[in-house]
Amino acid sequence: MKPINGLRGTALALAVLAALSACNGEQPHAAGAAVSAAQATQDTGGSARGDFGPPQGEPIKAVLTSPPNVPPPVNRKHPAKVIVDLEVRELDMEISEGVKYTFWTFGGTVPGSFIRIRQGDTVEFHLKNHPDSKMPHNIDLHGVTGPGGGAASSFTAPGHESQFTFKALNQGLFIYHCATAPVGMHVANGMYGLILVEPPEGLSKVDREYYVVQGDYYTVGKYREKGYQAFDMQKAIDENPTYVLFNGAESALVGANALKANVGETVRLYVGNGGPNLVSSFHVIGEIFDKLWFEGGTRFQENVQTTLIPAGGAAITEFRLEVPGSYVLVDHSIFRAFNKGALAILKVDGAEDKSIYSGKEVDNTYLGDKAVSLASVSEASQAAASGTLTKEQQIKAGGSLYNGTCSVCHQANGEGLPDVFPPLAKSDFLMADKTRAITVVLNGLSGKVTVNGKDFTSVMPPMSQLNDDEVANILSYVTNSWGNQGPAVSPEEVAKVRATTQRPQGAAH
Amino acid sequence: MMNRARWLAAAFGLAAAQLGAAAFADAIANDFRPIPAGRFESVIAPQPGVTAADVRAFDLAITPVTNAQFAAFVRAQPAWRRGRVAPLFADTRYLAHWPDAETPTPAQAQQPVTQVSWFAARAYCAAQGGRLPTWHEWEYAAAADATRRDARADPAWRQRLLDWYAQPADELLPAVGQSPANVYGVRDLHGLVWEWVDDAGSLMVSADNRDQGDDPDLLKFCGSGAVTMEQKDQYAVLMRVAMLSSLKASYTTATLGFRCARDADGESR
Amino acid sequence: MKRRTTIAAFLAALCMPILAVAAEPPADSIYQLQAQLTDQSGRVSGLDVFRGEPVLISMFYASCPNACPTLIAAMRRLENRLEPAQRDRLRVLMISIDPKHDTPEKLGELAERHHADLQRWRFTRPEAADVRGIAAVLDIQYRELGDGEFNHSSIVTLLDREGRIVATTQQVLRADEEFLGKLRALIGAL
Repeated sequence: MKPINGLRGTALALAVLAALSACNGEQPHAAGAAVSAAQATQDTGGSARGDFGPPQGEPIKAVLTSPPNVPPPVNRKHPAKVIVDLEVRELDMEISEGVKYTFWTFGGTVPGSFIRIRQGDTVEFHLKNHPDSKMPHNIDLHGVTGPGGGAASSFTAPGHESQFTFKALNQGLFIYHCATAPVGMHVANGMYGLILVEPPEGLSKVDREYYVVQGDYYTVGKYREKGYQAFDMQKAIDENPTYVLFNGAESALVGANALKANVGETVRLYVGNGGPNLVSSFHVIGEIFDKLWFEGGTRFQENVQTTLIPAGGAAITEFRLEVPGSYVLVDHSIFRAFNKGALAILKVDGAEDKSIYSGKEVDNTYLGDKAVSLASVSEASQAAASGTLTKEQQIKAGGSLYNGTCSVCHQANGEGLPDVFPPLAKSDFLMADKTRAITVVLNGLSGKVTVNGKDFTSVMPPMSQLNDDEVANILSYVTNSWGNQGPAVSPEEVAKVRATTQRPQGAAH
Repeated sequence: MMNRARWLAAAFGLAAAQLGAAAFADAIANDFRPIPAGRFESVIAPQPGVTAADVRAFDLAITPVTNAQFAAFVRAQPAWRRGRVAPLFADTRYLAHWPDAETPTPAQAQQPVTQVSWFAARAYCAAQGGRLPTWHEWEYAAAADATRRDARADPAWRQRLLDWYAQPADELLPAVGQSPANVYGVRDLHGLVWEWVDDAGSLMVSADNRDQGDDPDLLKFCGSGAVTMEQKDQYAVLMRVAMLSSLKASYTTATLGFRCARDADGESR
Repeated sequence: MKRRTTIAAFLAALCMPILAVAAEPPADSIYQLQAQLTDQSGRVSGLDVFRGEPVLISMFYASCPNACPTLIAAMRRLENRLEPAQRDRLRVLMISIDPKHDTPEKLGELAERHHADLQRWRFTRPEAADVRGIAAVLDIQYRELGDGEFNHSSIVTLLDREGRIVATTQQVLRADEEFLGKLRALIGAL
């Protein structure tokens, strides 16, 4: 027997260990091994197990709906023959207000009609091309197993009809689109839609189901340039769209056309991305996807904010609504939402619930690091306005203003910082000359000063950004605090100094 | 006073223009122009690996066949009347736009005839001593604009084609002959109607246009498998190929007409 | 008086089959198409040479390397699956897409090579102007590649005795059972 070596040996050892610990009942290892083992056996079997036998009962004519509505759940326990009749029409429609574009459509809408069947159904597909069409068209349904997804068998000239039959072996939400050359142009003109192949047991019941498909559009003119706009092939090749839209028009799902729901309801969105080029970062502002069947497949993720929907792909999202308001569906590549039109509205009505979302509760001014209350300041300025300003009011206002501005250097107790900032308390320099005091506050001071016998050579910056009232009040405060006593300083005196002296360069007026 | 005179003048001018257009269409409708021999890059490879097609000198009609001309043919050959022609040769919408089986409306007279099948077009051209052009002959003549034999690299040329494709079929087609002549003197190859060619049923393009032809089912198409459309940047031309390849010989559509060709004097095909 | 009427009626009845054959083919019959075929013996006929019997019909060219021999073999295989009595009722019409090169002599050689039963098989070439029309009614595509080589589709079509298309098949490697069923049903019904 060959010796087991290296990586293979390690892997084997780990596997043995995991198995042994599972036997021991060690929780983490056992749980992990059990879950992955369970998942390994729990797959739905894909197409190999998707054939439930021949159709039973009478053939059913499929109910097709226009967006944003969705046909009712299939609600059937056996495979059936379903007849789908889909007509291609080339139509001039508004892509944006005042902007006309020639769309090529399945069923007269962009996206095309929604098709809803059950896994295992046999679909007899009739594709009709209206006689007024100029172009031939065909269809590739991503849920079809077979050449071209049906494209090879459905190539249809204007005024004619093709038929082909397929069995839907895989469950899921699938894009369908036209595949006639040049394919990108047919897709860019709106030739896509969704076909839902329900799992055999059906989907869980929800209160609302809606159908939304994103697409990118390329016009010769600019965004919202009015008039008839032709398709621009070069912009499409360069992947530089003019519009990025839900359901083929800027107005498709806003205003009166918004999707509707009520508080307390669970909404399911069948979301597709027809492309032709862009990948969507699909998000609903204000909601979280409780369940998300990523890429339209069988498994769901929970609690997702934004999901990627590939071009030519789809996703199913489900969320419960707790709070009323307008929820905005966007492509979170956000310039597409606000500059190219990729937004839609879900309008939710119902009772508020402030415990979940309160709305705005407080609107205060925020002073940053100015922690003081400016009540005294406003009182003083009101008094000044009415001509009843008293020295006491000035001192009080000045104190509020001093703290946080002057106190940074001269300190709250007016003592300054030895050898650095001169004191104001009992300052001979301050009290000797009122006009000089005002000048220093307005214009700053540099060079040597001697205060109470001590020399200081710091620089005081000009404080001329303070207005006359503020300077007057502050000076009234400092000349009457900490043992200082002097007359009030009036705003007029400050104004006179301001007018007759020059501010240093860079200082405020 | 001045306004009324102006209005009258404009009305006269418009009427004259319309009469003029009809007269012009009438005058040139039976005319052919010589197309010299040449070689050009085609979207339908003449042989696997060879994209250059050789075209022998031939004559091409200046405009598509009109409703009036086709009506004259139907009167002369009642087997081609609507209602008489076998379903094998024309589908149920054959000449559906005429009020009766033999006569278009006066407004339709100078418009290109549509709702005609390949068999009908062929029969008409044979009755005139001509034939339908082949795809390569048509593509070659249509590559030209007013000043150049091959204008296909010009984005403006392509955009003109795309603009016509993008608009849905008009209720009322314009009269033939109103577009500017190309360098050969031929008109209306673009922007008016799709046109039948003799080998329209044999363009051998897969019905799924995305097929790359790299999986030749040698027994389905003896020889080289379904043709891939070359020159994918010639999408405007490829759309015409796609359109023709969707048709069976008995099909008619509202935007599909034809014009005739003739072998150049002294040459046999 | 009575006797003359009886004789007249008898004569009329005799003429009926002849009159019926000379009448117009049905509107959906491919025999509506006027075409001139020359076979390997030089006999000239229209497309309706085998009108009155069920026909397997297809198109080919003599220098074809792959598909045509396979096609002819496929048609042999189909007719060999029939009872001899049924086979006797079946006709096979092969039409060339290359009338320029496929002369009656060449067609004759080809017939010999394939040991075709020339009581029931004909290898023909149409007039040059007729090839496209025949291909159109049979939905067959072909394109000359140069050097006498052709790219073409291989389709076998089953016609009823009035030239209407009953079935088609593109399967050439094995017998198409569904097609064979229709062939048997058509012959059996006669």
